[in-house]
Amino acid sequence: MPNKNGSVYGLTILSPIIEDEKATPSHDLQIRNYLSKLSTREDSPFALAPGTHLARLVVMDDVIYVGMPACEEHLKSKYLIFESNLDGDLDGYLNGLAASIPEHLDAIWQHCVGYPGAGSRRAFVDYMKACQIETTFFFAAVNDKSVTETLRALQTQTAVTDFIARHQGADASTLQRDFIAFLGYLKSLPLPKAGSMGPHRPIETGGRNE
Amino acid sequence: MSNINGKVYAMNAITPMKPWKTWILRAAFFALGHIKPLQKDLINLSFIEFARWVIVPRDGFPSLGNGQVKEDLQYDYLLFFSNFNGTWNQYIDAFSAVLSGGLNLVWRWSEKFPGSVPVTLFKEYIARVQFDTDYYYTAYPQATANDVKSAHIVQASVESLAAIAENCTPEQFAEAYLKFVLQVQCHLGETGNAPVAG
Repeated sequence: MPNKNGSVYGLTILSPIIEDEKATPSHDLQIRNYLSKLSTREDSPFALAPGTHLARLVVMDDVIYVGMPACEEHLKSKYLIFESNLDGDLDGYLNGLAASIPEHLDAIWQHCVGYPGAGSRRAFVDYMKACQIETTFFFAAVNDKSVTETLRALQTQTAVTDFIARHQGADASTLQRDFIAFLGYLKSLPLPKAGSMGPHRPIETGGRNE
Repeated sequence: MSNINGKVYAMNAITPMKPWKTWILRAAFFALGHIKPLQKDLINLSFIEFARWVIVPRDGFPSLGNGQVKEDLQYDYLLFFSNFNGTWNQYIDAFSAVLSGGLNLVWRWSEKFPGSVPVTLFKEYIARVQFDTDYYYTAYPQATANDVKSAHIVQASVESLAAIAENCTPEQFAEAYLKFVLQVQCHLGETGNAPVAG
């Protein structure tokens, strides 16, 4: 099934945006305004709802004319594109969104044609599926790990780096004792918040990369 | 508008295709999806976290009634969404250098596609058909695709060492620990803020 790669699902949704000459500002601009104020860090709606690795929202104004001899044509509606890379099955994910962040969903999709609101879970899921386009080819670099597993692994990686640095040259007994204690410490750590930049580290990255 | 979040860049592109060519592209994607060795170059471009191509038939844009005017298009459209690490120029350069055959196979069916080599015309084409992202979220903005792969290797290695940690002598543990360090030492890269691009 092209929408899935391993355990990751590639969701592509195109929701037609309401065309209303009387709306001021226009509905597409209202979506853009709302999105521009939305956090992309740990208080992002997608961090609060479960299961999103990466997601984007894009207002597509029109198709693009590539020049002669191609024909010039235009869309009759603008579309809100929702592209998400998520864990598990689609129904569970959409229900999770509707349960966790209904106010954000309504604020964004209220400007789209036929949106029923997130309050009616069944109608919301049906609407999203009606706007879904099947992914033709989906690539995932890591396709067998959940968001939770990845956040945990990144936390472990940082902690292991510190552990190894601190235990260079340690004798065998100390190493074993401290590693067993380290395992307990790892278990006690709360799961890092999705969307956060991780712990601040006093190591400088930087420089121009282009 | 932001195409960038932490270490990831979101690219969106849309290109028109004559409908009869769409079927050839579908066959190519079918082969790519089912013959894993064909994905080797894509996997080797290890700065891509997720990518997808979506063919929208000319009559396939969602039509929901409620006063929405139905689309009347001559072309099918190929949408491309990528989540990659690094800068736009690095990405397109690497795509062109490493994956030119695959890219030509995918985009040669799109109108006016100039080919992925030479890169100058290819970049002009991508810049023309690209459109910007309004909102971009990632659960782990501090990490690249390679960081994520490495983190899972470290996690698995820790779990293996943990399984024997309490049931061996200190000397046996020290030996296992040394093997563990050798296993993970290439996977301890620092995560955090992205380098400054500009």
